[in-house]
Amino acid sequence: MVAAVEVKKYSKKRKAGPQEGIPASPPSAFPQEVGLEMGSEDEGEEVDEDSDGEVEEFPEIDTSSDTDDEEYAANGASSEDEEEGDEQDEEGDEEYGDLTDEEDHHIFPQAKTIISDITGQPKRVYPEIEPDYDSDSSTEETPNRVGNIPMHWYDDLPHVGYDINGKKVLRPARGDELDKFLKTVEDPESWTSAFDKNLQMDKPLTPEELDIIRRLQESENPDANYDPYEPMVEWFTGKGKEEVMPISAAPEPKRRWIPSKWEKQKVMKIVRAIRQGRILPNKPKTASAAPQFYAIWNDEPSNAPAPLPAPKPRLPGHAESYNPPEEYLPTEEERKKWEETDPEDRERDFLPQKYSALRLVPAYDQFIKERFSRQLDLYLAPRVQRVKLQINPESLIPKLPSPSSLRPFPVYRSLQVPHEAKRVRTLSVSPDGGWVVTGDEGGVVRLWEVIVGKEVKRWTFKSKVGAVEWCPRTDVSFFAVAIEAHIHFIIPPNLPGPILAATQNALAPANLPPAPSVPSAVKWTSVPAAQSSSDTPVLALNLPSSPEPPKQLVWHRKGDYLASVSEGQAGVWIHQVSRRHSQAPFKKVKGAVQLVLFHPSKPHFFVATQRYVRMYNLAEQTLLKTLMPGIRWISSMDVHPSGDHLIVGGYDKKLCWFDLELSDKPYKILRYHARALRSVHFHPTYPLFASSSDDGSIQVFHARVYNDLMTNPLIVPLKILRGHDVKDGLGVFAVRWVPRQPWLVSAGADGQVSVWCS
Amino acid sequence: MGRLKQKGKAGAAKAYMTRSIAIKKLQCSLADFRRLCILKGIYPREPRNRKKANKGSSAPTNFYYAKDIAYLAHEPVLRKLREHKAFAKKLSRALGRGEWSSAKSLEENKPVYRLDHIIKERYPTFIDAVRDIDDALCMIFLFASLPSDSKVSPTLIENCARLAAEWQLYVMHTHALRKVFLSIKGVYYQADVLDQTITWLVPYQFTQTIPVDVDVRVMLTFLELYQTLLGFVFFKLYTDAALVYPPPLDTQKDEGAAGVGAFTLQEAKDARSAPTAKSKTVEVDGKRVSSKDVRQTIKSITAGAAGDADVDMPAVDVAANDEDEEFVEDTAEEENPDDAPSAPAMTTAALPTLKTLSTLPQSTSAKLFAPYTFWLSRETSRPIFEFIVRAFGGRIGWPATSGSGSPFDEADDSITHVIIDRPVVQRANESEEEREHRRRRKYVQPQWVVDCVNAGKILLEDLYAQGKTLPPHLSPFGERADAYDPTAGIAGADEDEEMEDEEEVVEGGSDEEEEARPLKAALKAAATAEDAAALRAAELAAEAAGVDFGTFEKESKKAQKKAKKAEVTKEDETEQNMNKMMMSNKQRKLYERMKYGEKKRAAERQDLEQKKRTIEKEKKRRSKAS
Repeated sequence: MVAAVEVKKYSKKRKAGPQEGIPASPPSAFPQEVGLEMGSEDEGEEVDEDSDGEVEEFPEIDTSSDTDDEEYAANGASSEDEEEGDEQDEEGDEEYGDLTDEEDHHIFPQAKTIISDITGQPKRVYPEIEPDYDSDSSTEETPNRVGNIPMHWYDDLPHVGYDINGKKVLRPARGDELDKFLKTVEDPESWTSAFDKNLQMDKPLTPEELDIIRRLQESENPDANYDPYEPMVEWFTGKGKEEVMPISAAPEPKRRWIPSKWEKQKVMKIVRAIRQGRILPNKPKTASAAPQFYAIWNDEPSNAPAPLPAPKPRLPGHAESYNPPEEYLPTEEERKKWEETDPEDRERDFLPQKYSALRLVPAYDQFIKERFSRQLDLYLAPRVQRVKLQINPESLIPKLPSPSSLRPFPVYRSLQVPHEAKRVRTLSVSPDGGWVVTGDEGGVVRLWEVIVGKEVKRWTFKSKVGAVEWCPRTDVSFFAVAIEAHIHFIIPPNLPGPILAATQNALAPANLPPAPSVPSAVKWTSVPAAQSSSDTPVLALNLPSSPEPPKQLVWHRKGDYLASVSEGQAGVWIHQVSRRHSQAPFKKVKGAVQLVLFHPSKPHFFVATQRYVRMYNLAEQTLLKTLMPGIRWISSMDVHPSGDHLIVGGYDKKLCWFDLELSDKPYKILRYHARALRSVHFHPTYPLFASSSDDGSIQVFHARVYNDLMTNPLIVPLKILRGHDVKDGLGVFAVRWVPRQPWLVSAGADGQVSVWCS
Repeated sequence: MGRLKQKGKAGAAKAYMTRSIAIKKLQCSLADFRRLCILKGIYPREPRNRKKANKGSSAPTNFYYAKDIAYLAHEPVLRKLREHKAFAKKLSRALGRGEWSSAKSLEENKPVYRLDHIIKERYPTFIDAVRDIDDALCMIFLFASLPSDSKVSPTLIENCARLAAEWQLYVMHTHALRKVFLSIKGVYYQADVLDQTITWLVPYQFTQTIPVDVDVRVMLTFLELYQTLLGFVFFKLYTDAALVYPPPLDTQKDEGAAGVGAFTLQEAKDARSAPTAKSKTVEVDGKRVSSKDVRQTIKSITAGAAGDADVDMPAVDVAANDEDEEFVEDTAEEENPDDAPSAPAMTTAALPTLKTLSTLPQSTSAKLFAPYTFWLSRETSRPIFEFIVRAFGGRIGWPATSGSGSPFDEADDSITHVIIDRPVVQRANESEEEREHRRRRKYVQPQWVVDCVNAGKILLEDLYAQGKTLPPHLSPFGERADAYDPTAGIAGADEDEEMEDEEEVVEGGSDEEEEARPLKAALKAAATAEDAAALRAAELAAEAAGVDFGTFEKESKKAQKKAKKAEVTKEDETEQNMNKMMMSNKQRKLYERMKYGEKKRAAERQDLEQKKRTIEKEKKRRSKAS
């Protein structure tokens, strides 16, 4: 495009003279491709972007933006061009022949060759240009008189400039891409027309201009009359024109005719060296005189260690024989499989074959390939030194005491209590080990007997039971049930007299402290002693309302404090039964609290958030340590009765054992369940713990903890108890040990509660 | 507080280098780097942590030790390569300008690198070198059998063939060959040289073509190194064995395709003076080549007497031989294995060092074929069997169609074995002499020779007689300890076989079947019976089936024992399985990997055993049917 424009300028200057009268002749088809339009079409899109980008800037006048705009506008000019094209078509035929004939056609003013008066030589004289009205190209009939300015200044205006009368020249209409394309197809001249930026439309190129383009393309001089082979003018040669006088008057220096002394000295030096034999003129340099092979290892070897030899390739086995035993021959499907696998994935690089005689064995077609790959291995493959293990894999399995020597532990299911196919989320065993309370999703709390499984009583609540927990005191007997935003305290039926009295006394103490001045968010409501029975809760606790029931209830070992965990921020409450007082120990906890736990002997309190377990001192109100189990989501947690060890189970199938005195990282991480862990529990007296999982199994471990700090706890897997069905991807929700017995009670999603006995 | 540690200034980031950085540092092209790596034996390393070695990037790259690269930077060969690059530029410039004389002088002064120092560096002791010639031998033997083309020059191939022949001569001379294996890829040989086991593979005698996806330049670079290495190793081996190196070549025999026989082993009179003498002759060689011989060859080419330009080298060798005689007593009689005293003579010539002692023939199996004389039939491969038989002390002859140089002809009476590889054809018009030969000689198939070598003793020829179906040819190198052994009877097969037999019998008689089925059921019941009542019931069932009480009791006890054992093992297994959960992750992975491998090998083995069983059964059935 740029070239075309330049051509145009060039032609304008030359368009003076007698040939002015030649009408704007139509463009003709050149044998060479000019390729003007192609570019403009292809680059159409880029152009838009460019011009957009430059609008913001200071309108610098640069040629590139000019041409861009022209291309942009070229699309529009096509429609008008078509009309012009029609008019010019008629003349096109006449001019066609002229162009091909160079001699007849003169684009430029005809030059005359005359004999110069001064030199006597012929010279070319161009006709004088008369400075009249017609002589200048600026007088041509160009309607737009804005001059040579960047045309993008008119981009936003409806006109493209002003004519000689100061009237606006309107922007010619532009067709769309289709028009443009049609024009290229229909109009034979369209490919010889170029964009006139002044008029903002396509104008056909004149034959002169096209001729110039052709000459430029052929790397010729654009001037048609230029003669590169003009006769030479002899100025200083030839008869009578010799220069007889010297140019310089300086005398000729001596060195011009005396041989150089220094050169001679240098040559003599070489000659002397050759004579003395220091330089051998024609010795064969490439063929070295040293013997090709000699005793290279005869002298003392260096102390440097030899580089490691490359590993030798594996020696061939029977299968590679030309006549192997028949069993090595591949079957049809093995052959097919071998052929289908990629060469690099094959275990063997050949297929065993059997030939009855040696003469029948053909050449091995992969021979060179294999040699080559061996060499590639030698210089391209990274090498690593590996110790080859010569051990029995069984020796890797840790030697642990046999489970049979660690009895008793639960091995079989002694009874099964069905719960009407409701998921049993929670269960609790009474501190004397005789009774079990279970709470299912239907809102039914059952009290039944461990040994025979006889259901004694059931309480039906409106919504599902979040947690049940038996008070660990042995002198009283009651349990807490968490439903909706309430915690109910229930006295089981058929209690012996003194215990019943003690229980009632504990739940309704005679001298309550005065109610706090600021009303608490938790309300205690009790039933009068006269109406108290085992049918209804004796005491109720209204927590701040939340959509889900508290998910966990934990008693302190002394049975006076009860901690509850609900969803949401500030969901942890610690309730004191004797004073009917509740408090939230944490104003704000980082992360969602999953579980809490009282330390069995110290005033410590464990809080498990989604990922961490924090240990607080409640008396001093300080954070003692943060345990990092590395579990994504903690599901369960229990503390060893000694208080020095903690196990944490997670939904990501891991169980972590923490030695609280050792580190805040787990001492051991066990991954043995196939699905998420749901519940873990330490036996209060036996060295046992159990974990239950969504894979429907319960794992029983022996966990012996030593008093001296040097010995690590011994963990021995004892038994996998299977029997619960997996329902909707949910397995065993809760496991609890029966105090004083090596028995286990488990509650599953299949609506069964099982008792496992030793 | 100590100094702050900057990233990438110590440790793996410093110790490793990627290839592109190495090339940048050495300022050479990738091809030159490759050449250097091949020659110097430098290979990529696997860093423990790729990210640490590559400045945090985990892009797949190869790493080299930075020290290796620093070591390459001082390499004289690298300097020569740079010089060569300059030379190539100068030469092309001179040629482009048509300056022929300067091009010629440039060509004369062409920089050439030598690999002696590299050999010495890579193999500080001779044993190191001998240990590592496996690959070199494989390559030499391969190239000795290749046709020459534009990439592989004929002189290179000739040199490879010469080196291959020299190695074979040495192995034959010292009787060092131990094992031979005819595989589908080629022939594996294993020799024992200086207590180093050397295995090499020789392709069968067919024309090999280099595939297009093989980079010949890499192979040629390796070959360059291997040729030098083998030259030095052979020089040392020959001189230690008090032989002249290089062994002179008989041109006439070579042209007659005598192969190994074209070379003659010459004993050096004085082992110490031999190398110096030889080096002199080499010098003489060099001069001769440059002047007279070239002209002679050109003449010969123009005359058209010999079509090959290669003739010049043999001609020189002949000349060298003549001169050799001045220094070396001519013991040019062909190295004959029957001449047993050659080895002691050699030891007297040089002081018996450890090395020469080790080259002594060690056992009787090393001269296995000494009492026999072989005749090779036309269709057998001469290079293979000539080498094997002569390495084991036998004499061998061959028809003229297999090449010249046979020490005796077919009519020789001393021939004891004929190695023949064609089916038996009855010929009516057999002459008396031929019949006589046929009666006196043993006709064996080639595999017999190899199997004898691998067995270390002479096997019965009958199994390998002409036209017979050969027994399987097994690898003498052995397999893994727990791999399937085709020679052993199948372990554990007896039980199964019993079962199968039983089944077969059952198939045979219908009344027996009726008896056997309930018995089995009853036994099963007895085995699983826990209390007396169940046992009693089983007993009754057996009685109903018609089994007397004695046998039932015996069987039931056996079955119970089995069941108990199975139970115990099952319990053990579950215990083990539970203990596995106490393994650390690392140990568990290792364990799983080991178990996987074990299981795979066992499956492979079982598969082969199963196949063998079916094949045998098939055979039995067929023999029964026929």
